[in-house]
Amino acid sequence: MLKLENLSKHFGGVRAVDDLSIEVNRGEVFGLIGPNGSGKSTTVNLICGVYTPTAGSIRLLGNEISGLTPNRRLVAGVARTFQNIRLFDDMPVWKNLWVAQNSTEDANKHNLLRRWFGGAGSDRDEIDALLEFSGLGGRGGELAGSLAFGEQRRLELARAVAAKPQLLLLDEPAAGMNLDEIKDLAKRIKGLREQGMSIILVEHIMELVMGVTDRIAVLNFGGKIAEGTPDEIQKNSVVQEAYLGKPQDVA
Amino acid sequence: MDDIVFYTVEITQSIIDGVLFGSTYSLIGIGFTLIFGAMHKLNMTYAAASLAGAYIGLVFFTLFDAPAMLVFLAAIVGSAGIGLIVYYICFRYIPVENHLAALMASVGALFFIDEIVIHATNASPLTFPALFDDVMLELGPFGIRGDLLFVFAVSLISMAALWYLLYRTRLGLATRAVSQQGIAAQLCGIDVHRTNGATFVVAGMLGGVAGSMIGASVGILSPLLTLPITIKGLIVTVIGGLGSIPGAIVAGFLVGALENIFLFVRGVNERDMYIMLLLFVFLVFRPHGIFSRRAERD
Amino acid sequence: MEYYLGIAQTIGIHALLGWSAYVLLLTGQLSLAQVGFFAIGAYVSAILTTMFGFHIVPALMVGALLGGFFAMLVGFPALRVKGLMLVVATIAFTQFVSLFFFNVHWRRDVDGVMAGPDSTQGFREIRFYAANGWDTLDVTLFIWLFVLLVMSGLWWLDRSRAGTVLRAVGADDLAAQSSGINLTVAKVTAMTAGGVIAGLAGGLYAHSATYVDHLTFSVLLATFAIAYPIIGGIHSVLGTLAAVIFIQGILIEGLRFLGDWRNILFGLLIILIMNLKPNGIMDARTMRTIKRMFAGGKSADAK
Repeated sequence: MLKLENLSKHFGGVRAVDDLSIEVNRGEVFGLIGPNGSGKSTTVNLICGVYTPTAGSIRLLGNEISGLTPNRRLVAGVARTFQNIRLFDDMPVWKNLWVAQNSTEDANKHNLLRRWFGGAGSDRDEIDALLEFSGLGGRGGELAGSLAFGEQRRLELARAVAAKPQLLLLDEPAAGMNLDEIKDLAKRIKGLREQGMSIILVEHIMELVMGVTDRIAVLNFGGKIAEGTPDEIQKNSVVQEAYLGKPQDVA
Repeated sequence: MDDIVFYTVEITQSIIDGVLFGSTYSLIGIGFTLIFGAMHKLNMTYAAASLAGAYIGLVFFTLFDAPAMLVFLAAIVGSAGIGLIVYYICFRYIPVENHLAALMASVGALFFIDEIVIHATNASPLTFPALFDDVMLELGPFGIRGDLLFVFAVSLISMAALWYLLYRTRLGLATRAVSQQGIAAQLCGIDVHRTNGATFVVAGMLGGVAGSMIGASVGILSPLLTLPITIKGLIVTVIGGLGSIPGAIVAGFLVGALENIFLFVRGVNERDMYIMLLLFVFLVFRPHGIFSRRAERD
Repeated sequence: MEYYLGIAQTIGIHALLGWSAYVLLLTGQLSLAQVGFFAIGAYVSAILTTMFGFHIVPALMVGALLGGFFAMLVGFPALRVKGLMLVVATIAFTQFVSLFFFNVHWRRDVDGVMAGPDSTQGFREIRFYAANGWDTLDVTLFIWLFVLLVMSGLWWLDRSRAGTVLRAVGADDLAAQSSGINLTVAKVTAMTAGGVIAGLAGGLYAHSATYVDHLTFSVLLATFAIAYPIIGGIHSVLGTLAAVIFIQGILIEGLRFLGDWRNILFGLLIILIMNLKPNGIMDARTMRTIKRMFAGGKSADAK
């Protein structure tokens, strides 16, 4: 599905991502973990088009996407959520979903006139279904900014899904969630996988990562230090060292 | 051949005069950039407040026949006071995230200050005391005006004083902390409101220097100066990079020099046109200014 | 009567000017360049009617189109500059246009009389209305025809996909882009549309005033142009009109008795409004209150 080959991103002297190669298979939930500063966010931004690579390639279903702007990547099939929620606060919930849906709808994709001048508010059925899926059924008219934190996170996820992506990138979706909300999120992610979606999950919260992913890559200092199934990663001493330091470091 | 020498000399003379006068633009640019750096907002009144301070100094001159240094001092105090008032009515009580409202409020304050000055002076230009205006230093084929040199020196001294304030005092430390991480600064016990108010006062003092130095160079003060100085001050701030003091300094000299070159080459009617065009071209190639702040990550 | 019609004309023209800034404000672009396009529209249409005998309608159209064209040219470099830097860049642009027209000297012999922009002397001979028998009422209605046209266009925009796209860009351009919106297309289109409206307004202004000079097209006017949508709030098209009526009608005309002091009060009033209602007079909360008032006894339906 997605192939990162020798991907690098340098900011001046800082090598945020260095010669990273990762392959995510279709229909799997792929975890991306690592200590702070390991390059996870940079990798996410590279995949989504916020940053352009210094070197290396990013291929989606075999097609090179590293030259595309973020909006074109969405059309190509990559959708993301943000670590710090970025909803359109002053717009109603349904419009937040509609913006993403409208950008990728097949009928509209190639018809600029229809896409721009059609009345807003068509295609409500799909949006209503998404609202139900997010536990926000019937609340489409409320302003996104007035939702509770957990609800906003669900809306952010729904917005990404509304674009009918092939690949979903979740950037620390569980940050700030309590245990119940995390369990709910895990269920949703599994549900999306059952529907055939490929997902990259960037997270710190290990219960979520270990419980939901099929494979995990561990980053440190911009490079990959380990890759494998959740079990393998948990037993991996290199990973433990990266997170916890060497045994003698614990004074 | 003689023509080339003539033009080179004239242009170099223009550059010299321009850089010397440009130091006042640097100060105005620093003022805008200081406030932007601290609060991430533009204080549109800044140039007008600086000139208004100079007018206050002028009051001492016309009423009490005070010596020039006292006039300058009064201008500094006056500008600082105006700056503090502007802080309270335009920035203190408007929500921090709302940039538009603060901007608009400062525009309203700009109208207000401008109108008061126009009313108080009946819109007629007034003479401003200058120092060393009868002195002319000769340096080969170039003449260095004494009054411009004085202005330049005073500006440099003010910049040095500002540097000392920002990097060697607790207020300066607080200002820098607030500008970089407002919330964290609060958690460290810094009173953000007082610090920002103090920033306006400091900027105001600098503005008073700028206003009186502009008056001293031009020889007169007029409400017609407000708009061009506001625009040029903003251009200096942007070219230097919003939030960068060294940038504002360099850009001030640059704009001063270029202004004079354009004046020499195309005359006073077209001079400002080219400055505006210059800004546009500059922004296309270097949108963040000469010295932009470090790129902020999400 | 003439007096009130005159005020109505001014309000109409300023509303158009305010709306040209409003369209840009939707995308989050604070533009003081609108007066530059206003000036272009004014001079171009005036030159066409006065010096080349055009009828006013095609002249206005050409003025508006050229306003839009130059707006598009400005729109591309404007993409590189954000927030307050854009404010400064657009201030510089407006000043540039004003100074440009200050230096334009182009006169033509029309039926024995010299006509055309004459740098410092201004452009004095814009007499289309008078020469064609239009009276003040005709002119006022003509202006308001365009006002209603633009207002309905913007009202419809808010109900269309395009309007939502523009507002999304204004709310959070990174989120908008990540939701598939092409920022370049959105922002440049907004700038162009703003330029067309401003160019139209300029043409209408020039013919009402019968005399233009570069001083009219100042940064001061540009701040008025952006003040209208800011004070009116971007949540409603009518907000801008309300702000224009408030500022032009009540403040400038109503406080006429205060003579020169009204400008001072004007500044103070803006400060007061911004402190009390930072999101504009017709902000989201006020709009909902008004909507609820009109909904009457029915329970508020969130949809």
